[in-house]
Amino acid sequence: MKLILLLWIMLVIYAVLYIVPPAEGLGELVRIAFFHIPVAWVSVLAFLLSAGWSIQYLRTRDIQYDWKSSAAASLGLLFCLMATISGAVFAKLTWGAYWNWDPRQTSIFILLLIYGAYLVLRASIQEEKERARIAAVYASLSFLTVPFLVFIIPRFYFSLHPEPVINSAGKLEMDTIMIYILLAAVGACTALFLQCFNYMVQKKQKSA
Amino acid sequence: MYQEISVKLVDVSKSIGTRVLFTGINLVLNAGQCLVVTGPNGSGKSTLLKIIAGLSQPTTGTVQIMSNNKQLNAEERRTCLGLISPEIIFYADLTGCENLLFFTRLCKIRCNEQQIEEYCQQVGLAISMNQLVRTYSTGMRQRLKFALMLATQPLLWLLDEPSSNLDADGKRLIAQMISKGIEQHATIIIATNEPWEAEHADYKIELT
Amino acid sequence: MPTTKLNLLDCIWAIMVKDGICEFRTRYAVSALFMFALISLASISMSIGAASLPVDITAALLWVLLFFCAMAGLSRVFVQEEEAGTIMALQIYGPGQAVLFGKLLFNIFMLLVLTILIIPLFIIFLNVDIYHWPVFIVVLILGDIGIAAASTITAAMVAKTQGKNALFTVLTFPILLPQFLSSISATAKILMNSKPDMSDILFMAAYNMVLMIASSIVFDYLWYD
Repeated sequence: MKLILLLWIMLVIYAVLYIVPPAEGLGELVRIAFFHIPVAWVSVLAFLLSAGWSIQYLRTRDIQYDWKSSAAASLGLLFCLMATISGAVFAKLTWGAYWNWDPRQTSIFILLLIYGAYLVLRASIQEEKERARIAAVYASLSFLTVPFLVFIIPRFYFSLHPEPVINSAGKLEMDTIMIYILLAAVGACTALFLQCFNYMVQKKQKSA
Repeated sequence: MYQEISVKLVDVSKSIGTRVLFTGINLVLNAGQCLVVTGPNGSGKSTLLKIIAGLSQPTTGTVQIMSNNKQLNAEERRTCLGLISPEIIFYADLTGCENLLFFTRLCKIRCNEQQIEEYCQQVGLAISMNQLVRTYSTGMRQRLKFALMLATQPLLWLLDEPSSNLDADGKRLIAQMISKGIEQHATIIIATNEPWEAEHADYKIELT
Repeated sequence: MPTTKLNLLDCIWAIMVKDGICEFRTRYAVSALFMFALISLASISMSIGAASLPVDITAALLWVLLFFCAMAGLSRVFVQEEEAGTIMALQIYGPGQAVLFGKLLFNIFMLLVLTILIIPLFIIFLNVDIYHWPVFIVVLILGDIGIAAASTITAAMVAKTQGKNALFTVLTFPILLPQFLSSISATAKILMNSKPDMSDILFMAAYNMVLMIASSIVFDYLWYD
C-alpha cells in the first residue's frame, strides 16, 4: 500500500516536472499550482473531517472520534501551512507581493487561525475527557463561522486569484492532460493525508 | 414535586489517570435512608458524591436517580439535590442573605427575606446575615450552607464532611438536621470520618 | 412551603443581577477596562499628533479597541467563578441555559457601558465626525452583542484551561471574525458620510442570532460533564 502510494507520488512529481507544459502568462511557475491546489484541498478536507468527528464525539462520547478529530486537525495545520507558504511564493512571483489579503489568502489564513486555536486549546487542557469535550465544542463552533466567511470575505477583498480549475461558467480552462495530472496530484495528496492520518490514529489506539 | 427519591448505583467505578479510586460499587438507597461513606483521605469519598450529584462522570457504570420509578434526567436531578461540600463556595462580594436569595431563586423557590432570616436564625447566623460573606469565618460559611439546605428543602442530601470547621453547637445542629431529614423521608448520603455522624447510617460503604 | 415555580427568565435575570452587584461592589472590571481604553486611545492620539487618520483606519481602530477591551475583561464572567471556586455551587443550583444567557446579558451590558464611555473619548481624541447617529448606534449595539456572544461561550471554554487570558483572545478571534469585518466596514461607511447597506446590518443581526443559538446548543456540553 505504502509502496503504491510512493510510486504514485513519484509519478505525479515526474509528470508535473516533465509533462506539464509552461502555461501562458504564468510560465514555469504553473508547476507550483500542482503542489498548491492539492495541499489547499487537503487542508479544507481535514478541517471538515475534524469538525465532523468533533460533532460525532459530542453525540456519542466515544474517545476514538476525539483522536480522529485531533489527528485530522494536526495534519490539517501542516497542510494548511504548506498551502499558505506555496500560495505566498506563487503570489510573490506572479503579483509581486507575498501577501495582499486576497479572499483566498484571507480564507486560508483564517483556517490557519482556527487550526492554531484548536490545537493550542487542546494543549492547555490536561484531563483527557475534558479536553475532548471542550475541543469538540470549539471545533463545531468554528465550523459554523465558515459559511458566513464564505459569504462575507469576497465582499471586502478584491481577488487576483486565478479562477478555480472549473470556473463559474463550468468551462474547463486547462488542457485535458493538465487536468488529469492535477487530479492525480490531488489524489496523491489526499492518499498521503489519509495514510498519515491512519498512522496517527493507530498509534493513539495502541498507546491507549 | 418529587416526593421520594431513590439512588441506584450500578457497578460504579472511577479512576483518575492510572489511579483507581474505587471499583464496582452497587447499591440501592431508598427515600428516608441514610448512607455513610467512610475512608481515608484520597480514597474518593468526595468524588463519589460528585458522581452522584452529576458533577462528574463515573469511569464505568451508571448512577440512576429515581423518583416514583421514573429515572430523572440531569436537569431534574439538579433540582432535587442539595450538596454540602468544602468545594461549595459562596460569593464573597454578596451578603449571606443575598447569597441565599440568589441560590434559592436559581432553584426556582421564591423566598422572602423573612423566611431567609428564619433559616439564618436556625443555623445561628441571624446577626451576621447582612454582612458580606468575605467577612465570615469558615465555620460561619459552613453554617450558611446549611441555611441554604433549609431553604431549598432538597429530597436528596449529599453531605461531604458536614461538620468540618464547626464547633460543638454546630455539630449538634447538624445531628438534629440529619435526623429531621430522615423523618421527612429525604435520601441522605454522608461522606465522613466522624464516628458520631455514622450513627445515622442504614448502609455503610468503606472506601480504601 | 416556599415553592412558587418561576421560569427560566427569572433565573437568567437573577444571574445577571448577581454579576452586576458583585461588579458594582468591586468596580474592578469596569474601571480597569475604561483605563485600558483611555490609555490606548490617548497613546494613538499622542503618537499621531495633529495628523488625522483616514476614516477606514479610524473605524478599524474603534473596533480593534473594543475587541481588545472585551478580551481584557469579558472572560471574567466564567474565569472569576472558576478562580473563586464558586462555579460548583452554580453548577449544582443553576440551570445551564440560564447561566449562559445571564452571563451573556451581563457581558452585553458591560460592553455597552464601556462603549458609551469610549465613544466620546474616541470622538475627542481622534477628531471624527459622526454623520448618521441612529445607524451608528445600531451598528455599535449589534457589534457589541456579537463580541459579547462570541466571548461568553469562549470564556466558558477557557475557564477550565491553563493560561486563560492569552487563550481567550486566540479562541475568540476566529469565531468573531465575520462580525468584526462587517462592523468595521459599516463603521467606515458611516464615518465617510454614507449610510451602510441594509444587508450589512442584517448580516450582523443574523450572525448574532446564529452565534447565540449555537452557543446555547453547545453550552450544555460544556456545563454538564
